[in-house]
Amino acid sequence: TAAAPRSAAGNRRRAGWERRARQRGDRFGAAEGRRAQASKMNVGVAHSEVNPNTRVMNSRGMWLTYALGVGMLHIVLLSIPFFSVPVAWTLTNVIHNLGMYVFLHAVKGTPFETPDQGKARLLTHWEQLDYGVQFTSSRKFFTISPIILYFLASFYTKYDPAHFILNTASLLSVLIPKLPQLHGVRIFGINKY
Amino acid sequence: IHHITHNGGLYKRPFNEAFEETPMLVAVLTYVGYGVLTLFGYLRDFLRQWKIEKCHHASEREEQKDFVPLYQDFENFYTRNLYMRIRDSWNRAICSVPGAKVDMLERLSHDYNWTFAYTGRVIKDVINMGSYNYLGFAQNTGICKEAAAKVLTQYGAGVCSTRQEMGNLDKHEELEKLVARFLGVEAAMTYGMGFSTNSMNIPALVGKGCLILSDELNHASLVLGARLSGATIRIFKHNNMQSLEKLLKDAIVHGQPRTRRPWKKILILVEGIYSMEGSIVRLPEVVALKKKYKSYLYLDEAHSIGALGLTGRGVVEYFGLNPEDVDVMMGTFTKSFGAAGGYIGGKKELIDYLRTHSHSAVYATSLSPPVMEQILISMKCIMGEDGTTFGKDCVQRLAENTRYFRRRLKEMGFIIYGNEDSPVVPLMLYMPAKIGAFGREMLKRNIGVVVVGFPATPIIESRARFCVSAAHTKEILDTVLKELDEVGDLLQLKYSRHRLVPLLDRPFDETTYEETED
Repeated sequence: TAAAPRSAAGNRRRAGWERRARQRGDRFGAAEGRRAQASKMNVGVAHSEVNPNTRVMNSRGMWLTYALGVGMLHIVLLSIPFFSVPVAWTLTNVIHNLGMYVFLHAVKGTPFETPDQGKARLLTHWEQLDYGVQFTSSRKFFTISPIILYFLASFYTKYDPAHFILNTASLLSVLIPKLPQLHGVRIFGINKY
Repeated sequence: IHHITHNGGLYKRPFNEAFEETPMLVAVLTYVGYGVLTLFGYLRDFLRQWKIEKCHHASEREEQKDFVPLYQDFENFYTRNLYMRIRDSWNRAICSVPGAKVDMLERLSHDYNWTFAYTGRVIKDVINMGSYNYLGFAQNTGICKEAAAKVLTQYGAGVCSTRQEMGNLDKHEELEKLVARFLGVEAAMTYGMGFSTNSMNIPALVGKGCLILSDELNHASLVLGARLSGATIRIFKHNNMQSLEKLLKDAIVHGQPRTRRPWKKILILVEGIYSMEGSIVRLPEVVALKKKYKSYLYLDEAHSIGALGLTGRGVVEYFGLNPEDVDVMMGTFTKSFGAAGGYIGGKKELIDYLRTHSHSAVYATSLSPPVMEQILISMKCIMGEDGTTFGKDCVQRLAENTRYFRRRLKEMGFIIYGNEDSPVVPLMLYMPAKIGAFGREMLKRNIGVVVVGFPATPIIESRARFCVSAAHTKEILDTVLKELDEVGDLLQLKYSRHRLVPLLDRPFDETTYEETED
């Protein structure tokens, strides 16, 4: 039960992102996580985890719940008699991406107080995941799932141009913030504070 | 599944520890529960902001709305939308000695827990399953009380000074000799506060250039002490000896981060019993590792002193080890002795060093005389030196109660964490609504319990924590078990599928992300 094995190339890549993230301002420094975690006074908590938000997406059953939630959304949309199958799929895709954008890339900070004196206050949930370490399994899962939804939506809408534009725009809105280069980046200062 | 001995011969008794994994359906429903609560939280916040709903919590005045806010609104989200709903399970007012039974003030809330009103009625004889009253010394009658009252008239209530100035009484010397004799170490030193024993002494023992290896679930006092010391801290998985060995190996092979110099000291911080999990440290393996890699061991026996072992000497006696193997034996008098304060025991050189260098000895008030008398009498009682077998009976009764309680709960089908012999019994609830419901139902049935949820525990591991005491008679435990049976059926808490996970595969996520070192 050792920590995840890390390849040397992966280590260099990760060190690169973290070094650049650190240069961009210590607020978004990814190397803070575990080291900071070790020196915090966690009053009233039963573990030494500084920010539980970082581990939520890794917990048991979270991915299954998420998949079931998307499935539920789709079934509800399919049951509405006005929507044809292509419309239902596009709506599933768009609503899912909208929800993902809001909860992972728009809302900042934690819904509870953390003992790290607000290091994560300006970070979105995506940036907080695993203390900013990139290419972890949760990040990969949540990057791939909108892509899979996109494939399914494209297929079921029979590649109709209008649906295509909508679906692609929606997918890009949720994929671009996940790129490691955009870790901590706020374009035009939107959502900075 | 019984995992009897690994590392053949290190363990002289079976070590049965189990943490049954969260059932998948329960985990999914827990997330759905938190999701629904979050969505409703957003809805209520929206209503409050647009003044459709009355806002009960503190907010800025109208004139101050343009100022930069002092606190981030979102950080309070959990408190106002989740915690407030079930707030009546915590901070209940008691009005008698919290022994095996306690009297509570009844309170009602007419605005969904934003404010409380006391009805004036006292709920009498609520069975107390929440106090760390392991040996039953939390009482206001008996020999301890008589002796403490006498010392109070003789010495007064407080010393008003630090150990190094005028606060060193003859009682302190007597107490320290007794503690050293009790633990089987050369010398001991006592402090006024259990928390500060850790936070003030770890900085005196280690400093910059030293390495601290601390368990994942260590108490806040250990974490604070480690932070104040300035040493490098590395965390190993809870009670996981492979993780600890890997860290030790890496530390010795690679040395300090940039300079590769050897570490000045390596200190392993563990606790005897972990109070939220009910697990007991694997002391024989830790001691073997410590000897192999030549590091030091700091054992915090806050919950295990008095509660484990044939004669109540703690986790060292429980495993049949030599007290000299543990370099720093720390403990508190708060739990099993019914007093306050902490102690550190070890070699005479160590204690002499701490007498001059500990922050607590220089700046903190020393133990107060009536408290010391309580400790003296209770410790002599446990050791059997007062001529009766009362102490020994208490220790034995605690062990029997623990085994009985745990066995019956497991038979009923609840998921219980921790070691078979630990008097701390966490009963898993998992879902956020059940936390509130469980606390309230148990109070309706006249039983007081401690419940705990996210973010104090991992998100899918909310629990109710019972502390078995020697003061609980079998009738009391049977009453509690009967009520638990009913509540368990009512709330559907009997999740156990009797499928114990092997001890090495603790159900937390395996990959945790380490910092990259400079």
